[in-house]
Amino acid sequence: MIDYLLLIFRVLVFPGFTFIILFTMFCDWVERKIEARMQNRMGPSFTGPNGILQPFADFVKLLTKEEITPCDSKKNVFRLAPILALSVLIFAFAFLPIDGTSAIPGMSFAGDLIFVMALVSIANFLLFLAGWSSSNPYSSIGAARVLTQFLGYDIPLVMLALTPAFLAKSITISAIVSSQWLPFLILAPWAFVLFVITMQAELEKDPFDVPHAESEVVAGHETEYSGAKLAFLKLARDVQIVFGAALITVLFLGGANGPVPFGFLPEFWGTLWFVLKVLGVVIVSEYMTVLFARLRIDQVVRANWRLILPLSVLSLILTISLVYWIYPLV
Amino acid sequence: MPNNSIDIIRILETKLCGKPVQIIPGQLGIVTVKASVEGYRDIFKVLIEADEKTAISAITGIDLGANIGVFYHVRTSNPLLTIQVEVPKENTTLRTISDIAPSAALHELEVTDLLGVTFEGNPSTGHLVLPETWPDGIYPLRKDVNANEVKLNPEPPEEKSDEGKLVKIIIGPQHPALLEPEKFAVFVEGETVRKVEPRIGYVHRGIEKASESRTYIQDVYLVERICGICNSCHATGFVETVEKILKTEVPERGKYLRTIILEVNRLHSHLLTLGHAGLEIGYEVLFQYFWRDREPIMDITEMLTGNRVISSSLTVGGVRRDIKDNDIPKIRAVLGDLRKRIPFYTQVYRDEPSIRARMQNVGILKRDIALKLGVVGPVARGSGVNIDVRKDEPYEAYGEIPFKVITKDAGDTWARMNVRMDEIEESINIIEYALDNLPPGPFRVKVPRAVPSGEAVNRVEAPRGELFYYVKSNGTTMPERVKVRTPTFANIPAFLTTAIGEPLADVPPNFVSLDPCFSCTDR
Repeated sequence: MIDYLLLIFRVLVFPGFTFIILFTMFCDWVERKIEARMQNRMGPSFTGPNGILQPFADFVKLLTKEEITPCDSKKNVFRLAPILALSVLIFAFAFLPIDGTSAIPGMSFAGDLIFVMALVSIANFLLFLAGWSSSNPYSSIGAARVLTQFLGYDIPLVMLALTPAFLAKSITISAIVSSQWLPFLILAPWAFVLFVITMQAELEKDPFDVPHAESEVVAGHETEYSGAKLAFLKLARDVQIVFGAALITVLFLGGANGPVPFGFLPEFWGTLWFVLKVLGVVIVSEYMTVLFARLRIDQVVRANWRLILPLSVLSLILTISLVYWIYPLV
Repeated sequence: MPNNSIDIIRILETKLCGKPVQIIPGQLGIVTVKASVEGYRDIFKVLIEADEKTAISAITGIDLGANIGVFYHVRTSNPLLTIQVEVPKENTTLRTISDIAPSAALHELEVTDLLGVTFEGNPSTGHLVLPETWPDGIYPLRKDVNANEVKLNPEPPEEKSDEGKLVKIIIGPQHPALLEPEKFAVFVEGETVRKVEPRIGYVHRGIEKASESRTYIQDVYLVERICGICNSCHATGFVETVEKILKTEVPERGKYLRTIILEVNRLHSHLLTLGHAGLEIGYEVLFQYFWRDREPIMDITEMLTGNRVISSSLTVGGVRRDIKDNDIPKIRAVLGDLRKRIPFYTQVYRDEPSIRARMQNVGILKRDIALKLGVVGPVARGSGVNIDVRKDEPYEAYGEIPFKVITKDAGDTWARMNVRMDEIEESINIIEYALDNLPPGPFRVKVPRAVPSGEAVNRVEAPRGELFYYVKSNGTTMPERVKVRTPTFANIPAFLTTAIGEPLADVPPNFVSLDPCFSCTDR
């Protein structure tokens, strides 16, 4: 009985659904505050202390707004896409060991890294479906751009995600985390830098946010969305950004492992380290977003095929040679 | 100074010898040529052969009773000259000159729209500023039109589309890339733009017509409303034209105060555009920084004129209020702060890789095409065309103040934005020089309310380029005709040309590099 209650608690409250949503909203607030301060603005200030409740208030406000479904849209896909995207991302989150283990104990299996990467692609594809089903020219262009971008950048992303797998000699996330007594950032810094840049493109953040280029395609795939559907679509995007940061944390920064092991309450300290590391990645990613102008779609695609992809291949070769020939010698 | 003005008159006299034209030096610009319906095209041919900088500044249509006058205001290397043609109201047909001077096409369309003169051979058709539902045969700028009798057609005619495989993407009237309502139908093949069709007129307020039923003093405030950003330039354009008819000389102090207000206006306009360009390429930090630094400039405007945006401080005969002595150090301090930040911004615009990736080689306007299209202001200067009314035909105190005309040769979006960047520094120099050398004495003279019969043309350099004014008076307190040609109107052909063959994603940065102002364009 206690086991079941614990399971339900872990899935619904911590480190499952509620924690992920609240943490996402907190990260959203951090991003908005950083962006605002870098732009000489105040950012959210009124809702809660320092405006910390602003993302929550925005979400609730959108829930109360009128929902419009365009006549020509593929209605089922249009309705399902936001909620499915959110669900898929939260499901993927459950595999990440936030407090040392995955949300459901025993959920993790051999090769779940590949599965999680597949879930990321599915979530992106659902965002494409959301735009494609709206039957609006701006949405269609935005959706086509989502597809172009994630088809291109998925290949280097998966390739670079294999670097920690080779270093840990396992494609199980929990094994990758537990073998990082020294974060892989230090063992393979080149792969870390490439992974962060590729993740930036995968998450459609500046300088790669062509699907959201409002001066060209208005709101991209979100153009026709309103009310609760828009709220969930936006939440899905925010969860996606935090998930990207969490994936970087797990693969390169040692996940829930702290620099100093504490004997008591390992879950608490593990979560704290995890949250701090994710925040660090979110801050770096937001910093990049603010510092650059948006590239053009052809520049984004060219950057992938001419630069990121060859470099990823080189990085993979370098990692493999290091892991099998050089590190054993040291 | 107009050093080859004599050349133009001599060329006209020798080349047009024996033709049925009448050459009158002075009056509208440096020389006025009265031509017949048959012969006026030859004059343009002569002018274009003689001077590469020949372009149509404006075409004024005017109701002269039995006839419709069509005045071609042509700018050459330095001076402005006017070619007058008259057509009877029964047969208002002229041959187009857009095949000789492509810059004339849009101007001709406007005359067709507002006065019903048809230009045979003009490639553009349809309404330019009037709505699609406007009834046929009513031309609002003719004197016999009664506004109460105009009945709009209930249904607009259906739009024909015969573009075949091209996809039509409509930018505007409401679109995040445009700050004001205007429609551009962009025909794309894949991501490449093949054709652009403009449809302006969404903010046409009939200011030219409205100014005919207001007094000259009221008109100063009316024309300021043409454009909120460059409002002082419009006021200057109008009051200088009226002063030319009145033959009033503004006191020196008034001229310097006007110059200061105009340059503050330019500073605020350029900062606005440079920031807005950042927004168009997804660079919000740039936008926020520029607009933060624009705020103190607005404060200067308030110190000088009492208003933050529409200054309303110019009047016929001078300015309405003097500068306060204890404000001068404050203005200097603000300008000093801005000057310190300029090197940083210049560096960002010149070296920042993502700005260069989005702006370099985008919308390239070569020098010869820029000359042919008759573009003005920073757009022309970004293509290496050295024109600036402040130098070419100095007005107010510009003749006495040293400053450089900034030109760049690349002709792309990046060059146009960098011209504006460098002009900010020149503007600061001009304001500081004017504050240093502010002459004592009165700042305005009283002028009579009724203006004697006459007509005059005038140009000022607005932040967006050459702004043209034509005013005709009939001896009463109200003008007979006011014609405004705004810089954006002259620059739109440049966008229509440069957008073709480029990716759709380059349309917003290319477009914003013209610094478009649609309420100017439509009037």
